[in-house]
Amino acid sequence: MKKLLLSALTVALTASVWSCGGEKKSESAASESTGQTSVADFKGKTLNILCWEGYADKKFTQAFEEKYGVTIKGTYFGSSDELIAKLTAGGGEVYDIVTPSPDMAQALVERDLVQPIDLKKITHYDSLAGKLRSMQDVVKDGQTYGVPFTWGPDYLVYNADVIKTEPTSWNELFKPEYKGKVALWDDISSLYLAGMLLGYDKPDKGGIYNMTEPQLAEVKKKLMQLKPQVRKYWVTAGELDNLMKNKEVTLAVGWPLTPATLKKEGMNVKGLIPKEGATGWIDRLMITKNTANKDLAEAWIDYITQAENMAKVGEVTNYSVANPNAKRFMSAELQEITQMNNTDYYFERLNFWQYVKNRKRYNEIWNEIKSGA
Amino acid sequence: MLKTRFWLLFGPLALWMTAFLILPYAQVLVQSFYTVDDFGLLQPGFSLDSYRRFATGPLYYGTLGKTFVLAGAVTLGCLLLSLPLAYYIAFKARRNKTLLYTLIILPLWVSYIVRAYAWKTILGEEGVLNTFLMYVGLTHEPIHLLLYSDVAVFICMVHIYTPFVLMPIYTAFEQIPKSLIEASKDLGAGRWTTFRQVVFPLSLPGIIAGGTFSFVLSLGDFLAPILLGGPNTLFISNIFQNMFGTSNDKPLGSAVGIVLLVVVLLILELSGRAEKRYSSLESA
Repeated sequence: MKKLLLSALTVALTASVWSCGGEKKSESAASESTGQTSVADFKGKTLNILCWEGYADKKFTQAFEEKYGVTIKGTYFGSSDELIAKLTAGGGEVYDIVTPSPDMAQALVERDLVQPIDLKKITHYDSLAGKLRSMQDVVKDGQTYGVPFTWGPDYLVYNADVIKTEPTSWNELFKPEYKGKVALWDDISSLYLAGMLLGYDKPDKGGIYNMTEPQLAEVKKKLMQLKPQVRKYWVTAGELDNLMKNKEVTLAVGWPLTPATLKKEGMNVKGLIPKEGATGWIDRLMITKNTANKDLAEAWIDYITQAENMAKVGEVTNYSVANPNAKRFMSAELQEITQMNNTDYYFERLNFWQYVKNRKRYNEIWNEIKSGA
Repeated sequence: MLKTRFWLLFGPLALWMTAFLILPYAQVLVQSFYTVDDFGLLQPGFSLDSYRRFATGPLYYGTLGKTFVLAGAVTLGCLLLSLPLAYYIAFKARRNKTLLYTLIILPLWVSYIVRAYAWKTILGEEGVLNTFLMYVGLTHEPIHLLLYSDVAVFICMVHIYTPFVLMPIYTAFEQIPKSLIEASKDLGAGRWTTFRQVVFPLSLPGIIAGGTFSFVLSLGDFLAPILLGGPNTLFISNIFQNMFGTSNDKPLGSAVGIVLLVVVLLILELSGRAEKRYSSLESA
């Protein structure tokens, strides 16, 4: 027994000495390349990121971890409200970075849950897409609280083997031949879609995020009208993939992730933005108000917004990324999947989500539609 | 001395119950009187708003009603399957008794989600069942209604809760003295009369227990509706889940939970009384 203990101790000691050596090496390499932040300050620290699934993947965090001798820990949330729940239930001091979508970003700023970011420390900030940087929902008193990270559309996904002529309008969803062949996302964003079809996004694009009670009643009518067409309200992207794969549905509201995944499986599934437009989302990197690791958090944002690293994010998530230069590090196929080859086209047609003040009511209407009441 | 012994035995249980039963329920109860702001943050206070919304919103009480109907249907389905099956295993199957019983229990060792997904494969548009039906020429087009509908949820729940119903019924059958059945036959009663007059009344406690199991469990089920339900399938537990998740309206969610809890406790109380009444028949 003693022997066993002794050998275990030896192994542990050797390992720790060896790993120290490793860290030292990477440390010197790091200070050479950046030369600005004192690396020793970060060593041994942990950066906690509260994010959507895939936003703290080893494939792009590892190099940073090795460079600074830190650990990056990602905690995933599944919905915007879960983010709020985690952040407000004592999570304000646990997490250093959050990645909210634009339905929550502004609220986080207003609620004082995040803090301004020193843009001078984000060396590549100016190379991020201007359209994304110019969005004002995370700007308060001239200070910027969020750095664009990834973005994408909620667009029309269809099985091109069944639908031979490319659809041009969302009204394709209502066609009698696709009865029981449509899938919608189980989310209040379906209300945005209906609002758009009813023209509530004109003249103000924000109109669909701020609908009045009569408008919501119309939206409900519209979605109830669509209901016989619907086979299933999908909950996860994986579920939508399966619905498409098993030919349960032909048309859906989905993300570029789905055509990308199904193409790899040999299916002819395409996605497009119909003439009425589509809503879209942009996830930002934000720093929590009470973080003890502000410098490290800024170092991470600086690191991950560099073109080469953003390309890796695109590779893992299949989402479009905020740095247009990232496409230089992407294969032609990945550029297409992530729309990085066509960003301007998408920016022109996308109506990016905004904070919905009456979110509770939106949710209630959505539940009423689901219950058929 | 006696007191120390009492606390040594009862203490851990009391601690466990307090930490994992009483405190959480108390929290849910207290929370159901809170309100939330438009951001989803809890505002402590005393308000009956959540209960008012539950009572006045057809979305909430309507869904509860619908859930009741489905739970009742599932229970009926489970009973109709379990009664003859348990009867066969208890009285007819001789050598294969253990094997048959094990086969019924076996699915309980497989995770719920796996079993629900299996139904997806079976009921789907290109699933096993539709392919078979089309192959034998019973239908020319896949039957749409099999998957992503209340029917699918019903089938899956019956499958999952049948063992829970079968077990108590089987146990009740097993406990019936064979002499009683023989006596009934000696007195000239046929097989059906014997079942109606002797076997069924004596197995009532088991039937009630099993029925209660399946009813209460299907009332609280939320996975089957999510995985197999269609655009019209929304159960009270889905609303409950939604209130704690995407809607972030914990007070209303708690109120729904409390209402459901009260209903379940009421059912348990009623079924407990019924069981007692019928088991006294046995001793009489």
